Amino acid sequence: MKSAVDEKISEFLDPSFLSDRPWIIIVWDDPVNLQSYVVYVFMKLFNYSKERATELMLQVHNEGKAVVKSGAREEMERDVQRIHEYGLWATLQREGAQ
Amino acid sequence: MSENQEVAHGFIRHGANTYVATFAAPEREVLINLTEQIIELLAERVDGKSEDPLAAMVGITGHDSPPDDEVLRRLLPDAYSDPVESAEFRRYTESVLRSRKRAHAMAVRSDVINAGDQAIELSEESAQGWLGALNDIRLALGVRLNVENRTHEQLEILAPDDPMRAVFAVYTWLGWLQSGLIDALFLDIGSNS
Repeated sequence: MKSAVDEKISEFLDPSFLSDRPWIIIVWDDPVNLQSYVVYVFMKLFNYSKERATELMLQVHNEGKAVVKSGAREEMERDVQRIHEYGLWATLQREGAQ
Repeated sequence: MSENQEVAHGFIRHGANTYVATFAAPEREVLINLTEQIIELLAERVDGKSEDPLAAMVGITGHDSPPDDEVLRRLLPDAYSDPVESAEFRRYTESVLRSRKRAHAMAVRSDVINAGDQAIELSEESAQGWLGALNDIRLALGVRLNVENRTHEQLEILAPDDPMRAVFAVYTWLGWLQSGLIDALFLDIGSNS
């Protein structure tokens, strides 16, 4: 069991700890999810307009993936969990990371 | 992604916030059977017995590795490409995700059973749960049908004695049903924004 201090130290040792780059959510294309469903999920979970949601859906469809949101890590983790609840395939990473 | 499908009937919108559909006996049977399979499948991945009950209470599980089963891996996917970060995320979130997905499937199952041959009436909130459950079933069938590596055309010409032919028919029907419910919900969103 790590102590709270160890946890903090390991955070500092993370090479990206001092970075101010935000975290991003990437949604990946998959052959099952209906286009209209993907639009609906983006609108409902992120409060996006139908136009913005449709644009992102088309980007996922045509390019294989799209960044759908960015922000603080905790918030992005909560959102990824909501996206997974609705069956879309999403991952998060720090912006600019490979 | 799959192209949207033409909808003849299925769910239709009644009034401000009600979505209505009536299912024939064989359709009810399919929905009950498949939601039960999803519920079972998600339950199979039980939390470890040795875990701290307090941790279990706040949704932390012993699971930090992805499921072995391909269907479960699609229903409970990794959140990071990095396996270490993914494991950490899974340990804190998978139990909640699993119970939410089970709740969606259970709600559909009981709606179908309770309605029998009468109309099912959904609020927007329950319709959203239905969409999640229908999608989970389609994801699961999609894995079994190997839609990742087969085109729609290849699936359409499956031999009559291929057991996957019936699976594909159900998969297509569920897509049609889901699509109709989304169209009905969009009437609502469209009028508000």
